[in-house]
Amino acid sequence: MTGLVVGARRLLRRGDDLVLRVDALQEAVTSGRGRLDDAALNDAQETVDRAQERLRLSGAHTVVALAGATGSGKSSLFNKLTGLDLAAVGVRRPTTSWALACAWGPDDAADLLGWLGIPARHQVQRTSLLDTSTDDSRLAGLVLLDLPDHDSTEVSHHLEVDRLVKHADLLVWVLDPQKYADAAIHDRYLRPLATHSDVMLVVLNQADQLPAGTRGSTLADVRRLLSADGLHDVPVLATSARTGAGVDELRAAIAKRVRAKAAATARLALDVSATAQRLTELNGTAATSAPGKDRVAALDDALAEAAGVPVVVQAVRRSTATRRRRATGWPLIRWVGRLRKDPLADLHLGTADSTALVRSSLPPASKVQQARVDLAVRDLAEDASRGLDPSWARSVRTASSANSADLHDALDQAIVSTGIAVDRTPLWVRAFNAVQWLLVVVAVVGAGWLAALAGLAFLQVGAYQPPRVSGLALPTLLLVVAVVLGLAVAAAGRAVADRSAARAARRADVRLRGAIAAVADERVVQPLVAELTAYEHTRDALRVAGGR
Amino acid sequence: MASPRPSAALTTALTRLRQELQAAPLRLDVPAVAKVRGSRNAMVSQLEDYILPRLVQIDAPLLAVVGGSTGAGKSTLVNSLVGRSVTAAGVLRPTTRSPVLVHNPADATWFGPDRILPELARTTSPSTDIGALHLVAVDTVPPGLAILDAPDVDSVETANRTLAAQLLAAADLWLFVTSAARYADQVPWEFLKAAAERSTAVAVVLDRTAPESVNEVRAHLARMLTSHGLRDSPLFTVPESAVSAEGLLDPQAVAPVRGWLQELSADATARAQIIAQTLDGAIRQVAFRTHEVADAVAEQQRVTASLRHDAASAYRRAEADLTEALGDGTVLRGEVLARWQEFVGAGGFARTMEHHVSRLRDRFVAAVRGRGQSAEDVSSAVGHGLHVLLLEHAESAAERAHRSWSSTEPGRSLLQESQGVLGRASRDFREKAERAVRDWQQQLLEVVREEGADKRATARFLAYGVNGLGVALMVVVFASTAGLTGSEVGIAGGTAVVGQKVLEAVFGDQAVRRLAAQARDDLVRRAHDLLQVEEERFVALLDAVGADEQSADRVRDAVRAVDDVRQAARAR
Repeated sequence: MTGLVVGARRLLRRGDDLVLRVDALQEAVTSGRGRLDDAALNDAQETVDRAQERLRLSGAHTVVALAGATGSGKSSLFNKLTGLDLAAVGVRRPTTSWALACAWGPDDAADLLGWLGIPARHQVQRTSLLDTSTDDSRLAGLVLLDLPDHDSTEVSHHLEVDRLVKHADLLVWVLDPQKYADAAIHDRYLRPLATHSDVMLVVLNQADQLPAGTRGSTLADVRRLLSADGLHDVPVLATSARTGAGVDELRAAIAKRVRAKAAATARLALDVSATAQRLTELNGTAATSAPGKDRVAALDDALAEAAGVPVVVQAVRRSTATRRRRATGWPLIRWVGRLRKDPLADLHLGTADSTALVRSSLPPASKVQQARVDLAVRDLAEDASRGLDPSWARSVRTASSANSADLHDALDQAIVSTGIAVDRTPLWVRAFNAVQWLLVVVAVVGAGWLAALAGLAFLQVGAYQPPRVSGLALPTLLLVVAVVLGLAVAAAGRAVADRSAARAARRADVRLRGAIAAVADERVVQPLVAELTAYEHTRDALRVAGGR
Repeated sequence: MASPRPSAALTTALTRLRQELQAAPLRLDVPAVAKVRGSRNAMVSQLEDYILPRLVQIDAPLLAVVGGSTGAGKSTLVNSLVGRSVTAAGVLRPTTRSPVLVHNPADATWFGPDRILPELARTTSPSTDIGALHLVAVDTVPPGLAILDAPDVDSVETANRTLAAQLLAAADLWLFVTSAARYADQVPWEFLKAAAERSTAVAVVLDRTAPESVNEVRAHLARMLTSHGLRDSPLFTVPESAVSAEGLLDPQAVAPVRGWLQELSADATARAQIIAQTLDGAIRQVAFRTHEVADAVAEQQRVTASLRHDAASAYRRAEADLTEALGDGTVLRGEVLARWQEFVGAGGFARTMEHHVSRLRDRFVAAVRGRGQSAEDVSSAVGHGLHVLLLEHAESAAERAHRSWSSTEPGRSLLQESQGVLGRASRDFREKAERAVRDWQQQLLEVVREEGADKRATARFLAYGVNGLGVALMVVVFASTAGLTGSEVGIAGGTAVVGQKVLEAVFGDQAVRRLAAQARDDLVRRAHDLLQVEEERFVALLDAVGADEQSADRVRDAVRAVDDVRQAARAR
């Protein structure tokens, strides 16, 4: 994103900027597609295509178009400049129906004229007709166009003018004393092209018809109107095609631009800037920020709740507690615990063969939980698109909810594939278990001993007295101590088991929430960030295209 | 042709038509509405500026409006016709100043401020105020005729163009001025075409034409006039000639135009005929074009209805979803269930509950007595769930309505007027929803208290307390096995059984069913009210458009009345 800008700046300093700016505009059009207004993007695409075509074609030529109203004397000026009577001149309006082209210089301008859509019968190669004079060599590389009018009742002429005005490198607007204030030229051409004053000349033709002494004030008035259009520093010349006054100055002004060979790129650069400016207005320049941490956390919470994490965690706690208690409990009554069902198994979770293909039996998200998730997604999208243009805000919102249909499935998979099995028996449980069994053995020994003594006494065989410890018979002591200790160890085990279960539940909670957060990131946050990135990309590309 | 003495009925009918046109609702940005708005405004001004004043004073002098392009030489022509400099001509374009009306001193009364073009203030000195009408009384103008120098129709000054169109619409006769450089321009021809369409009397003056090209240009112009339906319009040529120091053309050059105008002023019948032709054409045109406006209004009605429907269906859907969520027991799951179970007793009781309801009831009693605080927990969990549900449904309805409006142009521009906050629930909805839920719970407790008024003293009532019974009622309200799956039926259904049994023990079977239904209806009604207020934000925008079901019919009725009067006049 910013890398693009930096790279672009570096390249710009190298001077070959127009190609780069056209490419940037192309990129902006591509990444803005589907988000920004289609009509504006199509316009921009047209600008890109035109610029690329023009750059591909002859850079040695400069296309200069004479444009203006019917009767302003475009054709007469054309004839004066070419020194040939090519263009039809007359009093019947409109006179010129077709654009006429004249090319100066030895280079072949056929491709360029083809691109301009001027048929061969309306083209003239200046040097092929006449021997070279100084004038002609000064104008070498000029392609002069005489356009039809833009204001007569012939609407087809207007369309031709609109097309060629877009293609010319230098525009010469021919005005006359009667028509210089017409809305047709100011509203439709000059004002919309206010950014293009560098590639424009304005000519007040038929200056000979002005009453003596009013020439200066009329020219000043023309400049006033041009300023009102936003064209403050465009050169204004007074000419008369009839008397020839001012035509040499016009020729010189054109020749200067032709020799500089910069008009074509200047025109395209202005087009690209203006288009980029228009798109920027649609696109906005607001800075973006990553989605807020607390918003993401709220989303994760809502999703965890909807996915049933609390239910699973509760089940893990209970399941773990049950198993640990059973493992550490008094072995002789362990079977009682087996009657209870494992809550994890109930949810189809926690078994070793849990694979991604299994669905859990967790209850589907309730409408309340679903509503919480939707609200969280909405808040997140709104937060992330704060300050963006409504069209981008809309597409961010769309991106954030694009995956909502299969979100629940994904959450379920995340729960199922998160290993929360409680199969591994920890060391302390084994130790407790060993002690319990040891105590059972001791108890059995004691009991057996007592039984043996009882048997011997019953059979009246001898009078063996078991050893006594502080007045108690050893077998009795063994039995009693083993049972009491067993129960005590079971009780201790129970307490430790509960603590361990709580710990396991916390662990499961963390892992499950991690898995949920991963789903949230993949299904909601990432698409949203991708949309923000597309916005930034468009914005930055437009900045490059705009030459800033 | 209308009768020379138009009836008062026509004036009345046209006045009503003006009102209806003025009031026609065209606010929605449906495609091509700008054009209809423009023509509606033009029709209203034409009725005010010309048709109505002219009908009332049919004997007023004939008003010839000199119109045309900037730089075609209108002012010079007017000055030359009058024979003295009454309006400033210049080489600088466009010229902004008040339009000048030149008349005979005897006709002054006809051009008072309450007559033709009533909006324009009257002045007797030259001014640059484009909203004023500069009156000049000159005796070189024959009585019964007035000449109005209008601004250009095609310069960069929008105000000039608008005023020119307005003045031309108020003309009995157009004196259209064009030049050799101008005669094929598109803009003036649009005006000429419009004039031809409504049979306005037009005379064309070809001005500023070099003598060598006069014939060719004149021939071409005549052909163009014929092809545009202006065959009968007189075409005068004023050859290009030097102007005098006063800025007047050679009197010889304008003699044909001047002579024609003088003849017209002398011939009252011809004048009346021109006036009647133009007036009748104007009325016919207005009546005809009113149908376009009526169609556009009908379109506004249709679009308004469809936008209204879009908004309504978004909110109805949210309401239906919400009602379903309240009824299928899902509110009870999750947190509510956990709190309820805590409240009732231990978690694992559900499995055996069916068989041991009575024992559980005892535990319930114990729970209520032992931990009075948990009734609050359950009710706040219920409240929280309800709040979230209300909020999300309001949000999704707003988003859906916003989205469907955004997909149409008129909807989009309406939304823009509201500064784009309609895509979300209103800012204070969170708070309002909270209050509604609280009020509902309050109301529910109130009902329980009232219902139990005569049972206050019973041991059971005392045992559970108002809060405990209220919570039980809430649970019963939301419990329904519909829509629950698997083990949940056992949990939620079973959960409710406890509450149900407890309540039945206190109030009796019938009463519990009634109370639950009542509480549910109350909740649904509150939700409906909340969403209604939300929907109102969209509806208000549409109401502001003002297109009701009769709008188009009213416009059509008004124009039909005009047509009837004209028909009757013609039959006589």
